[in-house]
Amino acid sequence: MSDSLTSLIGHQFPGGDYLIEHWENFLLTDCTGADLMANGVVHPIALFHVPIIGAQTSIAEMFALGQAESDFSISIESYDWHFHSPLKENVRYSVTGGIIDVQLDLEEGGRRYDLITFRFEIAGANHPVATTEVAWHYNRGTTIGAQQSES
Amino acid sequence: MKVNVGDVIPPWTMPSVSIEKMKTMAAILRDPNPVHWNRKTVAAMGMGERTINQGPLSISYMVNMLQAWAGENCIQHMHVTFPNPLILDEDEIIARGQVKAVDEDGLIYCETWLERNGERGLIEAEVTLNLHNKQV
Repeated sequence: MSDSLTSLIGHQFPGGDYLIEHWENFLLTDCTGADLMANGVVHPIALFHVPIIGAQTSIAEMFALGQAESDFSISIESYDWHFHSPLKENVRYSVTGGIIDVQLDLEEGGRRYDLITFRFEIAGANHPVATTEVAWHYNRGTTIGAQQSES
Repeated sequence: MKVNVGDVIPPWTMPSVSIEKMKTMAAILRDPNPVHWNRKTVAAMGMGERTINQGPLSISYMVNMLQAWAGENCIQHMHVTFPNPLILDEDEIIARGQVKAVDEDGLIYCETWLERNGERGLIEAEVTLNLHNKQV
């Protein structure tokens, strides 16, 4: 598994674009418990899923690339979000993304895991909008009690 | 808005994390993981019959706190870590934060975190706010 995982460094998703429609921002914002933002601005937490889907990948594919043992074997190292300008409804953004780092055989509290870091960039017509880095633990040999799974 | 080091950001409370919101989020995120929408899946893992909140949804409580305090579009950078991110449906979660530094360009550096039952360490974030970012 080690060679195949380290070979993922530099892997690029197809890339593509994404347009956030009003209904999606409405529902997303409603989930957070906040009021809809003014002027068609999208709630900042869209910076999780917009890059992933816009780059033409998915949570499921990201799990699979790291050879996740199950849906329950992923935990989160960190999310790093840079906002250059707000995301807005009904604007078509271009998205690129890929894998920038793989660290193998790490251990914490008796739990073994591999760490994979994904990086995505969102751009408007002629300007960068946001960058994100998603760092996930792919747990290996964990016990059920130590598992923490969420996206 | 005058901001000083040590200022406490007014907290923001999610009174009860909702499985229904998690279901909607799962659809929006295209997240197939049943721990977010099927209580029986979580129960089978020995963690009780309550679904696990999505990370972005938990982060949103800190975002809501920051934007209620400093205004929409104030967030320039967030680095979020997850020491113990198991936030479950029906949990009451309080987002809190404090100003750690203010630089001469007006950038505000904060630490923020989520609390449950008065205990922090669920999810934490180092955040940079730019109050000049409000134009859209």
